[in-house]
Amino acid sequence: MTKPDEIMDLSQIDHGVFRSFPFLQDHCITCGICSSSCPVSGIDGFDPRKLVRLISLGMKDEAVDSRWPWICTMCGKCQYVCPMDIHIPDLVRAVRSMRERDKVPGILHKGLEAAIRTGNNLGLPKEDFIFILEDVGEEIAEEPGFEGFTVPIDKDGANILTTIHNKLVNTHTEDLKHWWKIFYAAGEDWTVPSDQWEGTNWGLFTGDDQAMKTMVGRIADHMDRLKVKNLLWPE
Amino acid sequence: MFDLLIKYIREGRITLDKSKYDVLATYHDPCNYGRKAERLFGHGFFDEPRWVMDQCLENWVDLYPDRNDQFCCGGGGGTMTTGYNEERIYYGRKKMEQIKATGAGMVVVPCHSCHGQLNNIKKEYGMEELTVKYLWELVADILVIN
Repeated sequence: MTKPDEIMDLSQIDHGVFRSFPFLQDHCITCGICSSSCPVSGIDGFDPRKLVRLISLGMKDEAVDSRWPWICTMCGKCQYVCPMDIHIPDLVRAVRSMRERDKVPGILHKGLEAAIRTGNNLGLPKEDFIFILEDVGEEIAEEPGFEGFTVPIDKDGANILTTIHNKLVNTHTEDLKHWWKIFYAAGEDWTVPSDQWEGTNWGLFTGDDQAMKTMVGRIADHMDRLKVKNLLWPE
Repeated sequence: MFDLLIKYIREGRITLDKSKYDVLATYHDPCNYGRKAERLFGHGFFDEPRWVMDQCLENWVDLYPDRNDQFCCGGGGGTMTTGYNEERIYYGRKKMEQIKATGAGMVVVPCHSCHGQLNNIKKEYGMEELTVKYLWELVADILVIN
């Protein structure tokens, strides 16, 4: 029979490592319902129960260096079915936050850094942004029934402020039109900020609370500055 | 977002032409508007989008399972941008099976991540013909403009 210390280094086990985690990981009864519910179970040897167990055992390096927290979509099905109500998606996010920032996979941290520095994930300059909005606005105005349509940028006292998902001013400008047409038809008094307009908040994905707070704070500042009461943030 | 669309429709501020799309459609619950919103804010937006769907389409069916039991599209949590694309595409298999089982030619989603993921992976599952549409795009498409 294989002895436990042939599978793993038992000296690494330390229940104190994640004592500050408030996600109830030590309540796990290892029933495996989370793993049955998870669409990513089986990929790269992952299932949510194993990750919860790693955390409970205090195996920090294995958890933080693993791809597991990053291939999880934090969809919350596991938590929904968990009989012990373990906060698995929050736990995943907390483990992501412990990854060194230059080792965050893909463009997530780079995009977030650009957003903190420039106001949007693309680093798109203000004049280019305004040009794109006005250009798309002119296209709408050429359609029958939308005569006179314009994009109200930085409008004081509007009823609704909208944010913009960066892909809509990058590769998917056609998709800017849907909400704008609805606003036009409904006679809505709306506006969009000329800078700091980013509607995505990748700190949610990288576990970066400070960055999230900064991004949200910018939207709140717009609302104060422009005296807008309602926010439409469909990202 | 749902509440705003509902307000416009209920107050008669927009009028919709329900006959525009006769394709069989289905609706996908994003995790963040549904299951996670219910958990975090005490209210999951399950009924609201379905009411909007009823105003837009004569012919649509739910996926199975749905609402709190809905499968994630596989594009959430930043997975569109981690570079782990094989994993993300594999993740979406259950979603595509669900959609295929309804026979729908159009799936309506109220989420940028779900929209990007479904459009990106449909070819991987032989479903190039599937139309992936934002809920607000559906509303905009069938606006009656006087």
